[in-house]
Amino acid sequence: MTVPVLTLTLLTIVVGTVLTFLSKERARFVALGTSVIFLLEVAGLLASYTAWPGPSGGSPGYAYLESYPWIHLSWLTINYTVGVDGISLVMVLLTAFLQVAVVIYSWGETNQPAAYFGLLLLTCLGCFGVFISLDILLFFLFWEAVLIPMFFLIGFWGGPRRRYAALKFFVYTHVASIVMLVGLLALVFYSGATSFDFASVYVAARGLSTSVQVFLFLALLFGFGVKFPIVPFHTWLPDAHVEAPTGASVLLAGLLLKLGGYGLIRWAVEVLPVGMSHLTWLLYVIAFAMIVWGSVVALAQRDLKRLVAYSSINHMGIVLLAIAVYSQLGLLAAVLLMFAHGVVSALLFMVSGSVHHTFGTRDISKLGGITPVTPFLATMVMVGSLASLGLPALISFPAEFTALLATWDRIGYWVVVPLVILVVTAAFYLWMMQRVLFGPKRNVPDHASDVPWFEAAAMGILVALIVVYGILPGFLVNVIVNSPVYGFPGFP
Amino acid sequence: MDTTFLATFTPELIVLAAALLVFLLDVLGVRRLETLGAVAVSATAIALLAVVADLGFAPLAILRTIPSGVVDAPLGPSLYGVTSLGLVFQGIFLTSAFLVSLASLSRPSEEKGGAVFFGLLLMATLGMLLAAVASDLIFLLLSVEITGIATYLLVGYTRRDARSLEAAMKFYIVGALSSALSFFGASLIFGAYGGTTFATLESATRVVGYPALALAGFALLIAGLGFKLTLVPFHAWAVDVYDGAPDDVSAFLAGGSKKIGIFAFFLVFVGPVVFAPVLGHWCAAGHCATITLRPTVELALGIVAVLTMTIGNLLALQQKEIKRLLAYSSISQAGYMLIGVAVGTAPALAGATLQVFAHVFLKAGAFLVVAAVLGLGVGPRVEDWRGLATKRPYLMFAFAVMLLGLAGIPLTVGFVSKFVLFSAAVQAEGWFVWLAVAGLLNSALSVFYYARVLKTVYLDPAPEDPTMAERLEAPIGWGRSAAIALAVGAIVVFGIDPALVLNGFQSAAVHFLQVGA
Repeated sequence: MTVPVLTLTLLTIVVGTVLTFLSKERARFVALGTSVIFLLEVAGLLASYTAWPGPSGGSPGYAYLESYPWIHLSWLTINYTVGVDGISLVMVLLTAFLQVAVVIYSWGETNQPAAYFGLLLLTCLGCFGVFISLDILLFFLFWEAVLIPMFFLIGFWGGPRRRYAALKFFVYTHVASIVMLVGLLALVFYSGATSFDFASVYVAARGLSTSVQVFLFLALLFGFGVKFPIVPFHTWLPDAHVEAPTGASVLLAGLLLKLGGYGLIRWAVEVLPVGMSHLTWLLYVIAFAMIVWGSVVALAQRDLKRLVAYSSINHMGIVLLAIAVYSQLGLLAAVLLMFAHGVVSALLFMVSGSVHHTFGTRDISKLGGITPVTPFLATMVMVGSLASLGLPALISFPAEFTALLATWDRIGYWVVVPLVILVVTAAFYLWMMQRVLFGPKRNVPDHASDVPWFEAAAMGILVALIVVYGILPGFLVNVIVNSPVYGFPGFP
Repeated sequence: MDTTFLATFTPELIVLAAALLVFLLDVLGVRRLETLGAVAVSATAIALLAVVADLGFAPLAILRTIPSGVVDAPLGPSLYGVTSLGLVFQGIFLTSAFLVSLASLSRPSEEKGGAVFFGLLLMATLGMLLAAVASDLIFLLLSVEITGIATYLLVGYTRRDARSLEAAMKFYIVGALSSALSFFGASLIFGAYGGTTFATLESATRVVGYPALALAGFALLIAGLGFKLTLVPFHAWAVDVYDGAPDDVSAFLAGGSKKIGIFAFFLVFVGPVVFAPVLGHWCAAGHCATITLRPTVELALGIVAVLTMTIGNLLALQQKEIKRLLAYSSISQAGYMLIGVAVGTAPALAGATLQVFAHVFLKAGAFLVVAAVLGLGVGPRVEDWRGLATKRPYLMFAFAVMLLGLAGIPLTVGFVSKFVLFSAAVQAEGWFVWLAVAGLLNSALSVFYYARVLKTVYLDPAPEDPTMAERLEAPIGWGRSAAIALAVGAIVVFGIDPALVLNGFQSAAVHFLQVGA
């Protein structure tokens, strides 16, 4: 009997979340304690993860696998099954880092702090659950569990139009979840899988006809795509981001969008490769649309948060592009990019939040010359922007480079589209920095105080990640390629 | 023989005795609401334990009264027959009666008519219990009628409230009409087959087939029972009745007595218990042609199910009053349950049963919360509930759990029940997949109005009204608190571990389809 490490890790954060909800004024300490312990546990998982155990009887193998019976009827077999591979481990690592950072950043929250920190932890709990679930029902359960805390975070602590944004977020993502559930159920019953476990679904799906695979892939693409968010179902994202409190924005961009990407890789790409191969054109179209649209619309934004939100759509477009090329390199790039974007967008949303409560506005056209007044914040704006536009030695560079390389391998000169758009991305960030950081002072008091220590600390953690993994992406690469999918038959 | 006969009806006799005791106490001058309520609460609780024991729950074996050979025995000439699925439904009915009487202990003590309320509640429960053991069409319809008459009176028992009276009148007229339809249908069936016990019908249909007379009888039966179950197009009465009835009565109507209709549908249109040759997947050597009617009925019920879900939800979207919203949502839930009847396989029956089970806690619970909030003096419109969560966090948390459950959000029993039901439809293959798709789209649609209520309660600022703030401090009574807490507990516990009941439902459904085969 091996130790059920994943369940124990899950339990730590469950207990921590409950305690946070109950501990009123001291909630932030409990939340910080929980997230630090969680980070240490994840570090332990990562350290002891050496290699995936290899395929077992034709089905993929996963590390730290646990499986207990849950609902067993003659026609319905559902287990509580959890396990990880390199891809999910990297996503779990992202969850752990962002959780610590967001708890520290929100240290000064005074409006119902117990509920606020509890909901933050609950969101991370849901994400962690999604990343480790290898059973359809469990996966769906955690997937939906993310929705409710985020609804309340946006709706209660958000900006002036928070109620509208919260409702829109809830309805969009829930409708998508329903379609995803139909797809997953049909996947189980049409393929005649013996249980809802990933392994048995994976094996059974090999026997599905092409047309069924295409149909199922479409359902799953829509289901996961809305969280992604694929164009044209992205409109909830800017609203949700603009209205959400900074902490929620960070988790929304850093983690929730990654759920879409991860779900697509795990449950659609890995399970239905034939269906995907017939829809590659659609993925390219959507990816290009996201890249171009996100970037062009970002150019027109004056609100700092909206700008970052649209640039998120642009970056997630590159993730989708990397998934669409369907190669070992492409998959690596997609996961790396998701990690990179998770950290960078988290930093940028923190920066936007800090700019907002330091200067009372996020309007780029109203701000100017903040560098002499708040040098630390200005530095963070700069690091975040440079990382986002893909400066070498920062984390996005290796990821985007790999993605473009993989795209070149598959579609040749079409790679010019994302390349040109990268220049546009660089342009809007440089323009924003020029307006906000430098030039004459506008709407800036002579002696505004720089960001408080906790916000600085949270940003510092993220900057450290950006630099360390930017210089040494090999840490992540070695883990990612250590996944069963790299041994799947027929995976190019 | 006599003792077996009596033992078979233990839960019914307990409830009947309690009802008579309540009326007797009233005559003797004992009118304290708590005393009368205590009789109802304990009677339903004891009867519930007896039913659970009869289902074979080992720790309660000492309470077991029905000999094991009697349950799920093959159809005989008798008017009644105990099936394990029938026992499951008895348990569900008793649970709803128990929750409602427990909550009603907290009604204002000075209120008149306690005996009428609890007595009629018990009588209605008696009818429901009897329907669950029916093995004869007339027996079934008479049991439904007992419940019907008791509930017409329950809706109007306060007597002074014009809205309640109007609702009671409407309920009575519609109910009488639906009974007339059902009984007329039954008489046509009797004319066609020369008997009404399920055993007679089973053998007669095999010999006679289905003459036009019988088909007309079945059609009338669908309409008559459809009224009870609030199926579209027979649903219009439900909203006015649930809206006008006293709040606790609405809880009982929506969470409990309406479910009698779904079990009647199980008995008449699914069970090979009776109509296997007509409507079941029944096939004997060389006689497979006799199942031709089944697809037609499946299709008809499927269409009604989709219409009921969709229209219920679309109308719920437009409601501004909380009770009307819950009433329309209740109509749409009946549509989900009917999917189980249309699909008609053991998994689908188990799923529909779980849905009925879930609905007791979700819908009866929600109406009990509404009763509590209206009792505090808050208005009936959704907008009157603005920011209530800051004033009554625990009560509104319970309400949120119930609404999320009705919307089918995971970790609630409402999610699991829909999950199992829709999975069963997908698993049955054929065009039933589209029933699952329609059901899922409908649950997505329903999220709109549940989320809107949650948004109002949690996110909108509370109105500035000092007198209101003071009234909101008032306690809601321990009985009501306990009932709501029990419902929330059940929603979460069965949401996390549905296997606690689902295995039992599944095997009961399998037995149900085998009885008489």
